[in-house]
Amino acid sequence: MTLAKATVKVVNLGRISYGRALQIQQRCVRQRLDTSSELANILLLCEHEPVYTIGIRQKLYSAEEELRLKNLGAEFFRTNRGGLITFHGPGQLVCYPILNLGCFKKSVRWYVCELERTVIGLCRKFGIKASTSPDTGVWVGENKICALGINCRMYITSHGLALNCNTDMRWFDNIVPCGIVGKGVTSLSQELGREVTVPEAIPPLLETFAEQFNCSLTFEDGDINNIIVNDSPVRL
Amino acid sequence: MVHAPLTLQARQVILYNTACAVKMAMFVSLRCVSANFYSVLPLFSRAARAPSSRLLWKACTPRTLSTASQLSAALKFTDKHEWVRVEGGVSTVGISNFAQEALGDVVYCGLPEVGTKLDQMEEFGALESVKAASELYSPLSGEVTEINEELADNPGLVNKSCYDKGWLIKMTIDKPEEVDALMDEAAYEKFIKSIDD
Repeated sequence: MTLAKATVKVVNLGRISYGRALQIQQRCVRQRLDTSSELANILLLCEHEPVYTIGIRQKLYSAEEELRLKNLGAEFFRTNRGGLITFHGPGQLVCYPILNLGCFKKSVRWYVCELERTVIGLCRKFGIKASTSPDTGVWVGENKICALGINCRMYITSHGLALNCNTDMRWFDNIVPCGIVGKGVTSLSQELGREVTVPEAIPPLLETFAEQFNCSLTFEDGDINNIIVNDSPVRL
Repeated sequence: MVHAPLTLQARQVILYNTACAVKMAMFVSLRCVSANFYSVLPLFSRAARAPSSRLLWKACTPRTLSTASQLSAALKFTDKHEWVRVEGGVSTVGISNFAQEALGDVVYCGLPEVGTKLDQMEEFGALESVKAASELYSPLSGEVTEINEELADNPGLVNKSCYDKGWLIKMTIDKPEEVDALMDEAAYEKFIKSIDD
């Protein structure tokens, strides 16, 4: 059986705190779990204020470690995604696909591979040769350019990927990104030797996403309340 | 139906399973004389009536392998790809071969505390694989009596031995009728076929 081409609504949340974006994601997921009717697949795009986040392996990070990172001027969140610690902040394109994998393929492993291929395709559009490694994420040589962390409940995905465009890379000096010792991080700007902003990276990301997931994209205005139907308004 | 090219890892899983199946098939043909064979291995009950050569062939087909690696009490399945084995009033819970393949290598198992009371379909933990945390859903209502401590150091058992050493939790059975309503192996086989098609 060939599935009809899936549709994904793209919503650009712009600069938003991690907590607010998390709340929006959770509402989108909850709606999809609570209703039997098919709600649209959503792709949330945003850029966060400085924040360190960890995944479900929370015992690896003590309260003291949390305090140390907060004292650097960043927020800290313990989340339900996969993966270890990472940083989000200005200059990083964050992408949270809220997809029903039933519209695509019911495999988390497949989904993560497709996300990785999307980012590799985007890098190719910028003339950067990126690849995967045994450690998840997308790499340029020994340096990670894009981090991934996913949650999947009943085939509804949340969390996603974080691509460094012109991120202040010093934030990464304070952590072992994704728990992988001995490797570095990089950004589109660092690789190309010029400023690549988040807005510049969005169109090629969407293009490769649509190709990789074989879906058509629709665009909404910035009002998330048009997306989160039957729910109390979200204050952005 | 379009199949994505198999990753190396997926191939390895299938190869591994094929190897198991061959061993299984040999074991099964030796056990054919056993009187309780049908109840022991419901999935093969139809095939068992066929000549042993056919049984071998059937066992080597990857599709029939996914649930066939258990020789103790019969397994029951949920549509969330968890299995339940009831022995002495306690149920053991794990994830199916189909589920472990779809997840990829499991690197962490987030399991509940012993004593946690669960309703059927309640989230009771999460498995982390390839940077993805996938939630687990309780197949039954009951209380967690034991968790598989071995998974803390060796989460990959969920992939390598999903029906045996990679079990997740044991729980009481508060509503026996819930067990009856779960799919048996044949129904589950049909169910995963319907997902693939």
